[in-house]
Amino acid sequence: MDSREDIERFRIGKDLVNQLSVVLRTSHIHDPNNIAVVSVIDKLVPMVNLLVEDERVVSLELRGEFFYINDYRIRYSLEYLLNFDFLIREFKKRELGSITFKDKIAAEQIKVFVGAFIASPFSETPYEVIEEKMANVKNVSVGKLRKIVEEDALEPRKMVKKTYFNAVSFTRGVINKIKGGEKVNIKKAKRVIETMVDHILEEEQLLLGMTAIKDYDEYTYHHSVNVSILSIALGQRLGLNRKTLTDLGMVALFHDIGKMDIPYEVLNKPSNFTDEEWKIIRKHPVWGVKALLKLKKLDPLTTKSAIVSFEHHMNFDLSGYPRASKRFDLDFFSKIVCLADQYDAMTSSRVYSRIPMAPDKALSIMMERSGSQLDPLLFKFFINMVGVFPIGTVVMLNTKELGLVCESNQLFPARPRVMIIIDEKGSRVKGHIVDLTEKNAQDAFVRSITRTMDPNKYKINLAEYLL
Amino acid sequence: MSEELKKAKEVIQSFLKSKKILRMYPSNNPIYVNTLEDNFNKLREFFYYRDDLALKVRQNDIYYDSEQVYFSPEKEDNLALFFFKDGLREITFKKGLTFEEMEDFLKIISLDFNREAVDDDIVTLFWEKDFQNIQYVVDETVLADEDDYEETAVRKIEERVPDEDTLLKAYEDAFKEEEVVKDVSIVPLSDKDLQLLLTELERDSRDKTDKLTDILYEIFSLPQPKEDYEDMVGFFINAIEFSIGRGDIQLVTSVLARMKKILDGKNEDEERKKYAKKILLLAGSESIITLLGEILDSGQEVEERVFEDFVRYLDRNAIVPFMKILGELKSIHARKVVIDALIVLGTKDIATLSKGLNDSRWYVVRNIIYILRKIGDRKAVDYLLKTVRHGDIRVKKEVIRALGELGGAGVLQTLRDCLDDADHQVRSAALKALGNIKSEAAKRIIMNKVADKYFRDKEFDEKKEYFEVLSHWKDGEVYNSAVSMIKRKTFLGRAKNYENRACAAYCLGLLGNKDALPLLNKYKNDGNKLLREFVYSAIKRIEYGQ
Repeated sequence: MDSREDIERFRIGKDLVNQLSVVLRTSHIHDPNNIAVVSVIDKLVPMVNLLVEDERVVSLELRGEFFYINDYRIRYSLEYLLNFDFLIREFKKRELGSITFKDKIAAEQIKVFVGAFIASPFSETPYEVIEEKMANVKNVSVGKLRKIVEEDALEPRKMVKKTYFNAVSFTRGVINKIKGGEKVNIKKAKRVIETMVDHILEEEQLLLGMTAIKDYDEYTYHHSVNVSILSIALGQRLGLNRKTLTDLGMVALFHDIGKMDIPYEVLNKPSNFTDEEWKIIRKHPVWGVKALLKLKKLDPLTTKSAIVSFEHHMNFDLSGYPRASKRFDLDFFSKIVCLADQYDAMTSSRVYSRIPMAPDKALSIMMERSGSQLDPLLFKFFINMVGVFPIGTVVMLNTKELGLVCESNQLFPARPRVMIIIDEKGSRVKGHIVDLTEKNAQDAFVRSITRTMDPNKYKINLAEYLL
Repeated sequence: MSEELKKAKEVIQSFLKSKKILRMYPSNNPIYVNTLEDNFNKLREFFYYRDDLALKVRQNDIYYDSEQVYFSPEKEDNLALFFFKDGLREITFKKGLTFEEMEDFLKIISLDFNREAVDDDIVTLFWEKDFQNIQYVVDETVLADEDDYEETAVRKIEERVPDEDTLLKAYEDAFKEEEVVKDVSIVPLSDKDLQLLLTELERDSRDKTDKLTDILYEIFSLPQPKEDYEDMVGFFINAIEFSIGRGDIQLVTSVLARMKKILDGKNEDEERKKYAKKILLLAGSESIITLLGEILDSGQEVEERVFEDFVRYLDRNAIVPFMKILGELKSIHARKVVIDALIVLGTKDIATLSKGLNDSRWYVVRNIIYILRKIGDRKAVDYLLKTVRHGDIRVKKEVIRALGELGGAGVLQTLRDCLDDADHQVRSAALKALGNIKSEAAKRIIMNKVADKYFRDKEFDEKKEYFEVLSHWKDGEVYNSAVSMIKRKTFLGRAKNYENRACAAYCLGLLGNKDALPLLNKYKNDGNKLLREFVYSAIKRIEYGQ
């Protein structure tokens, strides 16, 4: 909703989250009584009290990767991105889930909270430390971080799976319809993408997990959907709003539509392409522009789709194809789709080099291409999104367990959540998920990754675990 | 019936009413405003009983709490079907619903999806609003292209479960292979990164049509078969239409300039030239010019210089569409812009432009005459001469003026005839037109009229106009004629003669010849007041150049 009231609510919300983050960051450097801390607390207090005046009780809660104020989700704001990330990380570190203000608060109460917050990470039970120190503070209370119960995750997983396959089925239908000269329902395409955007906002890791399963028969359709999902996920990290994410998802879904004009025998050739075949392959961006412009009347979305179709292989340094006769500033969406396209193509079978790569290998190659083929800034966001070990990476742990990365960790990219598929005794197991941020009593990590394995080399069917 | 059920039914009825009212009235109309308020009150009355109003949607029914609150078997105007067809299965209104949310909801359901070019379905429109207090459940199966795709795809994947040995082999190899994981560090995002991103986002937020036309131009430059060229023409024309719709004439001009460059290029492919020409022609088609007219009439600012450049690239085929919209435009500014366009375009085809002289609307004919006059091409004279007998005096005046400016032998006879017209305005216009021509023949016509025995009987103002026009020639003949006239005395009709003499004095003053001063001084104390005043003014004009 974009009513004035909502915009104002959003503004107050993000300002509050940002200011709390500023207070806690400053407190990491200075003593709570230091003037630097006092002045930022003095700025926070009226912000809270203004909200309390209207709502009486104001609860700031962390759910997943998002903050909510009285059940109203505070959207990511690009200007405050780093402060948001900091606060999420620090809340999670302490297992702190919420802070609730009742009636008007005073600076002294915030100081107590800050003191408890700063002291807590040194304890094995940081949340309990905060809770204890806050027990006698009037008007301010805290709540423990609610962990997502795995049983509860079953239902979203089902929904995400359904969404994913609906999208693939729809894409298949669209391409067949265009080939057959039939009319395509763009309204339906938007609906498909909107559902994906919702899932990225709520269940990002589950949907990204679907893109890691590469063992599908129909590469073209899955690739289109995967690129769309990866692009939306990256767009979300860049702070794009829902409407823009939908546009991005749409253009990404149709980025390779020109490939439908490539003869089947070329597109599905089991061996390497000849020069002539490459010439045909390289025409697909232009064919895509034509197909998209024939699809419907020109509007901003069709325009963006056509641009991305044309540019997604041009490369950041314009070394790719098609070669333009004059200087081109690549479109923002094109650069995003280019990243998502390369990543999905490299980690899939039956494209280009025909040798699928392990996700971490693909990332290291992309890192080499950053600044030449790929936009370095967007790549930085991309790697922060997928992590050092993207979902689908098969990893050997120092505990002699073999596992599969099933959820990346935005705050600790080298410490994802891993599904153990072979236990320390060498027996095949299924479904046991471990968090690599977990520490033992000696404050050492319980598990760490020692090496990655190529799932394709051993024909490990990721779908068996991720679906 | 329970009270809350009754209230739920009332909410549905008020939705139906709002759906009609919002389509019929503008948002500032009191009926529109009252309907919204009434609807909001109905919802509030319901929320007195319950915190949520959850409506279940079936094909032809809507249920609240297992009770039917709406039913319609119709295909049209069926609220249940309206929701159902896009996959909506449940809609819940929460107590916190704001007036704005309700209004947005009602605006969406009031859209006429059959008539209006709405690119989105109802679920997308709800989704874009991101309602906080309206929740809905959607059946997503309508989105899949095949019913059992998920099942089939998953089954196929599961069929490919590898032998346990393969996985165990990976496990064994993990110990054998030497390579260990490197400590890959991810560079954290910095404030500078965010700043760069913001700059990029800002740069990216502008309209992209120019980029698309760049791409189209790149593709157009590639060798391609005839049917592909045909497609390209269509794409360019769509881009032109789209840009005009947004008032971006500058972009259209740059597209046309590129086409012109291709057309004029010496080493250009002939086939490409042919299609570039086609694009230039289609840019002046009726559909595009009509769209342009709508934009101009909407009051959208169009920079004069940009518009002029645009028109210069159009071909003569744009003349007829421009003339068509000229008669339809409502704003004076828009008409002025179109007239200016026709002044530029008309030079390419006077004959086609002159067809506008046959328009049934007098103001269009007058505009076309104005345009022909501004173009100044004597080829227009033949067409204009036929318009002199137009029934509207405003047209007649304009055409006479045009003839005067264009001149030429054929014009004089018509203008002479007009000097005898029954309408004084026509006569006056003809006189001025002759003055504009400034030829000896034109002077002769006026001199002859002045010398005519009936001239004396004309109204004083008209006679004055004659001498004023004559003064344009500033030659000896006119001077002598005026001198002769001022000296002339008659026995009969002395009052009329004094008028003639006053006019002659006026003429001498305008001629500014100092030789006339002794003669004028002779009459400066004349007994006739009119003559005296005009002589006085003439002397002052000659002496002081006033």
